[in-house]
Amino acid sequence: MEYKVEAHRIMSISLGKIYNSRVQRGGIKLHKNLLVSLVLRSARQVYLRDYYGGICLSAQQAREWCEGEYMDSEQDKLVPGSKESMPESDGQSEVAVDKQEPSNVVESHAALDVESEASGEQDHAEDGVLDSGCSELKTPEENPEASPTFEVPNGVTTISSNCISGPPPSNPEQATETPNDCQTDGSESVEENSLERTVPQTCTNRKRSADDSELTDSLPKRTKVMSPPLISKNDEKRAETEEMDTSNVSSLITIFGSSFSGLLSSEDGAQPDSEADQDSDSGQICCDQMLKNLNPWSTAIVAF
Amino acid sequence: MCEDTDTTRTLNHGFLRDHNYVTEADIISTVEFNHTGELLATGDKGGRVVIFQREPECKTEPYSQGEYNVYSTFQSHEPEFDYLKSLEIEEKINKIRWLPQQNAAHFLLSTNDKTIKLWKVSERDKRPEGYNLKDEEGRIKDLSTVTSLQVPVLKPMDLMVEVSPRRVFANAHTYHVNSISVNSDHETYMSADDLRINLWHLGITDRSFNIVDIKPVNMEDLTEVITAAEFHPHHCNLLVYSSSKGTLRLCDMREAALCDKHSKLFEEPEDPSNRSFFSEIISSVSDVKFSHSGRYLLTRDYLTAKVWDLNMENKPLEIYQVHDYLRSKLCSLYENDCIFDKFECAWNGSDSVIMTGAYNNFFRMFDRNTKRDVTLEASRESSKPRAVLKPRRVCQGGKRRKDDISVDSLDFTKKILHTAWHPTENIIAIAATNNLYIFQDKFN
Repeated sequence: MEYKVEAHRIMSISLGKIYNSRVQRGGIKLHKNLLVSLVLRSARQVYLRDYYGGICLSAQQAREWCEGEYMDSEQDKLVPGSKESMPESDGQSEVAVDKQEPSNVVESHAALDVESEASGEQDHAEDGVLDSGCSELKTPEENPEASPTFEVPNGVTTISSNCISGPPPSNPEQATETPNDCQTDGSESVEENSLERTVPQTCTNRKRSADDSELTDSLPKRTKVMSPPLISKNDEKRAETEEMDTSNVSSLITIFGSSFSGLLSSEDGAQPDSEADQDSDSGQICCDQMLKNLNPWSTAIVAF
Repeated sequence: MCEDTDTTRTLNHGFLRDHNYVTEADIISTVEFNHTGELLATGDKGGRVVIFQREPECKTEPYSQGEYNVYSTFQSHEPEFDYLKSLEIEEKINKIRWLPQQNAAHFLLSTNDKTIKLWKVSERDKRPEGYNLKDEEGRIKDLSTVTSLQVPVLKPMDLMVEVSPRRVFANAHTYHVNSISVNSDHETYMSADDLRINLWHLGITDRSFNIVDIKPVNMEDLTEVITAAEFHPHHCNLLVYSSSKGTLRLCDMREAALCDKHSKLFEEPEDPSNRSFFSEIISSVSDVKFSHSGRYLLTRDYLTAKVWDLNMENKPLEIYQVHDYLRSKLCSLYENDCIFDKFECAWNGSDSVIMTGAYNNFFRMFDRNTKRDVTLEASRESSKPRAVLKPRRVCQGGKRRKDDISVDSLDFTKKILHTAWHPTENIIAIAATNNLYIFQDKFN
């Protein structure tokens, strides 16, 4: 349980770093972003470890099968699917967080294109959930595993194409919309999240340097917006998060070793139990799906 | 652990900024001695290059063994803006490399993220006097006042150091340039960015040859980047480049025009017991240096420094733990971005000692023969001129001696990333944020 929290925390930090790298002077640093994406992938793998092994193979095959396919035609299918699955994710606050993160990853890479789509979406009380431990991913979602997994790769490629097509100049305009939105969300997340003490929760401005502040800013919007990439991930993540609840603690311990020794002691029990928000849940599941199958590099590198 | 060495380290000269706060532009980003050690160049984040020159030894004062004084300062790179990508190009000097001296002037290459420049540093200590048509101030003389002809003669003047850009090698790198290396043929040099290495001729600026390209067809498949590259000190056809995966590749330019296929691959299998989230990050090689002999390679990753034998590819010859006590703190170091710090490493002139920096303004030296090592600190408090540096120790719990520093009280904002060793003597240059320390050995 605690290891999931740590993995989740590392994922959120990584996403924040990737996000921040976009505004850093000198342009995106390929090397650092590559390393951050590797950490993100490792954390994701550990986070989804329990059923990752079982589904991994099928997911890989599905991904390869879907490589190169454009998602446009499938988006319509996905949208209804995700909408159906959303109500199912009750009480999955932590799940919501995960969902948000991956979408954040994707969109932070996507030159803010996807973000811009999400901008304008408010009412995400679960921003802080981003930082909360995602240890309660119990309730298996009903989504069929097969179809979502097949759809995720499409989402990936779609996002990539989004990134390619997204003109950088348009980003600033769209980005400006978000700060206002962020403020509301940020304050909510502050109230609800107590886990991430190290990460400032009061995100009120996209320009803030705190990693997670920017992260949480954009997160809620993503989950709200039923953008096709998110939706596709929604389904897939939903299927995969179903089996996450029981973690193999001993195996996790061996993996983490001493890396988390200092962190675990401070993290135990700090599970914010923010009320489940269906949208954020689906977003979280979506993020999980995303993390599982999406190469965070796709959009960043393409944009690069 | 640190032990006293036979020699003592004395502070030769410290170039310390007076103000306590650190202006970002003053942060030193590279340090390099020239081939004789007479000149020391530093580059900073503001795009400036400062060259120090060693004063000739004065026999009357045996202790002023050639101190380094500022020789010249110039602005090498300016901030630029890439309008096509809407990206700002930092003016920070990433690397400086000296060319071997061929005449009275000195030449150096300096590079930022995108552009390499060749600078000529020359002295002027004479000037012509006695012109016929203009007077001493340069004003044109009234011809009616000129009654006789004279031949202008060269008269000594105050030494003036002139620095002029001779070549600008631009527009050849899509990604950030991390290394430059001058070939032993003294005619070519290479520049390496994250994914490509280009070969230049020093005299030709509008053309470069791409010799290594690891960019995948689909960027989504990217798994590693080039982190450092260097030419062999003697064999003009050999070069080595390190990757973010912790591997080294030796390439022979005679094999093919494109050296994507390596001649030798130096890789150490990962220790599964040390596996963690951050294994990949800490295995990324931040610096690679050939030994002066050309027989060995020195690499630095986040926690260790390794010496490789060119003839043995499957594992390094020696592994030196620089600050293994950080292994349990990788997560915190990841959060504050310290885990991405790129430490450099250096050989001494005889390839018997290697040096690298650490945190808290500590730097470490490892003697390869005696297997002894020492930790020293570069700080104002401990470095009065002529003072002998005291070895420091980091304790990780357990018995703590006096003056030990505990791991938790290390200052991670004070990092020594850039160090340089004089090519022949035991003089080292340590860059601590915005301060430059020069230490020299004094045998008792």
